[in-house]
Amino acid sequence: MAEFLHYFPQALSFTNLLTLILGVIGGLVLGATPGLSPTMAVALLVPFTFHMDPATGLILLGAVYTATVAGGAISAILINIPGAPANIATLLDGHPMALQGRAQKALYVCFISSLVGGLIGMVIMILFTPPLARIALKFGPPEMFWIAIFGISVMAGLSSGSILKGLLGGMFGLLISTIGYSPLLGTPRFVYHDVLTGGVAIVPALIGLFAIPQVFALVESLGSKLERPDFKPEKGILFKTIAENLKMVKSLSIGSIVGSIIGIIPGAGGQVAGLIAYDQAKKFSKNPESFGTGNPEGVAAAESANNAMVGPSLIPLLTLSIPGSPTAAVLLGGLLIHGLFPGPDLFISHASITYTFIASLVLAQIAMCIFGIILSRYSYMVMSVPNLFMIAAVTILAVYGTYSVQNSFDDVIVMFTLGTLMYIGRKFGFSPAPVVLGIILGPIAEDNFLKGKLIADTDVGLFSYFFTGSMNMVIILLCVASIGYSVYGEIRAYRKAKEALV
Amino acid sequence: MKKDLIVSLVLLAGVISLYLSLGYMDDPRAANFPRVIIIIMGILSALLLLQSVYLKKPESAGGERFPFGRFLICFFMIIVYFIFMEALGFYLSAFLFFIVVTFTLGKSDLTARTAVMRVIIGGVFTGILFLLFNVLLAVQTPKGLLL
Repeated sequence: MAEFLHYFPQALSFTNLLTLILGVIGGLVLGATPGLSPTMAVALLVPFTFHMDPATGLILLGAVYTATVAGGAISAILINIPGAPANIATLLDGHPMALQGRAQKALYVCFISSLVGGLIGMVIMILFTPPLARIALKFGPPEMFWIAIFGISVMAGLSSGSILKGLLGGMFGLLISTIGYSPLLGTPRFVYHDVLTGGVAIVPALIGLFAIPQVFALVESLGSKLERPDFKPEKGILFKTIAENLKMVKSLSIGSIVGSIIGIIPGAGGQVAGLIAYDQAKKFSKNPESFGTGNPEGVAAAESANNAMVGPSLIPLLTLSIPGSPTAAVLLGGLLIHGLFPGPDLFISHASITYTFIASLVLAQIAMCIFGIILSRYSYMVMSVPNLFMIAAVTILAVYGTYSVQNSFDDVIVMFTLGTLMYIGRKFGFSPAPVVLGIILGPIAEDNFLKGKLIADTDVGLFSYFFTGSMNMVIILLCVASIGYSVYGEIRAYRKAKEALV
Repeated sequence: MKKDLIVSLVLLAGVISLYLSLGYMDDPRAANFPRVIIIIMGILSALLLLQSVYLKKPESAGGERFPFGRFLICFFMIIVYFIFMEALGFYLSAFLFFIVVTFTLGKSDLTARTAVMRVIIGGVFTGILFLLFNVLLAVQTPKGLLL
């Protein structure tokens, strides 16, 4: 806490504050735009942060990450399409409110509740991250290898409808990370073309896997019309709504607590947090029957939960390289291109950057509420941006973003090839997040696997070195539990689908 | 599921050819880590194949027809954009790409008014990019005919 307070003023410098405000406004707009996923928005920004001071670059990414989660609620409330999976629970009461002509109130409740939940989540993050980072200090090569595998297994279960496809995606990512020269022996591997000589860098992979499939998906959806409710901004309800909102103590508390707990669990994500908080708020309500018909308490519970999740979801990311969501996986890529590796080193050698980043996340929550309230009056305009313009704009940014990192057209070719493959992969039920995480964690996994093998060969042997020891066993059990839980979920869904057919 | 059957067979074929290619590496030790990954991928692909044969999930109803023509047009426009980016420079090629994409893919509602609007929006967008990259971030962009 003392370090956090020490570095807090750095987040308030003119450049950092301006970046934060621009990031929040941009994040709100991108989150609210149907057809643009928050993960893609953050992925597109990563290369531009490369030209900035590391702290400023991370502030931009953190601000966009925070704001897209809240911005996604705008399209959930106004057009019944969640901007991100985290906003699914928001539309259950938010959209009925919009249909009743109370869209403005629903948006205000959304941003105020997001602020309350977001700040509580940040306190949890500030308190728990440094102690967990100190535990990570005790990790050697086998633990780090298993942590990388755990990260992939979590993402495999989180972002794909099939755990097998998720794991295949993760393994494909690991395989891509081995393209280029072997780090230990300097031997070329899978270099089938000159373009692949330098391997596949993180930025082309991030942009290709997230942005190009989105461009093609937008091309597919051209011509389809979205239903939009009549949205007339109401005047003079802001202070009344703030007062009403702050009286929703039960919903806000449930949302913030559930969101914070779910956020710390890698892989659970904002979608789960929002839905569980909504369900609990309904169970504890005196009028549970009013939920789903336009009850602001439902919006408050869902939004406080999905924003409370943001801070704690960064705890496993900053300490162990395990992202809690696909967007956090992209954020991990942003850390790595600045040479910042998650773990204790982040809080010792790079304390200035890390704590400035954490402080900016607190400020981003406040800015998100203020600008969210201001922009909500004009949110209807964001909904009206034609897909045609987004196809052109996203492609141009994707191409230039990729090119700008190393001024290389080879990277652009790699980006477009991976993106086209991912678009085809999506048609077959594959998801980009495990592939990206495989590419990011691949070097960590290989490096620690080879280091561990060298030590094991001269010591206790490969099996004993990697499969014994309490910390190894805990992480291996977590991997098994993560995969087992996804398999159980799939079997249950399969049985339900079969019963429904009978 | 038919889709899973196809994908698992394609993956198995890919995994086998990748495994065979490991034998051609200059130093066999460099293949250790990729070999482990390829073996795991092989096992997972085989499991997917078994799942697609023995655990048949109900097929979802077919949605709208895939707009193959539109997809191909977009694909080739992006390729042409790559080719001309270095010759024309970043800003000119970005502006032209914006115009060509919005005119070609949005030709169904193309009128004199929408055409002018698209050109103006393309110009404003390119102007914002110029301000952002050249003025604010001062980064290098591909130079061409004009900028």
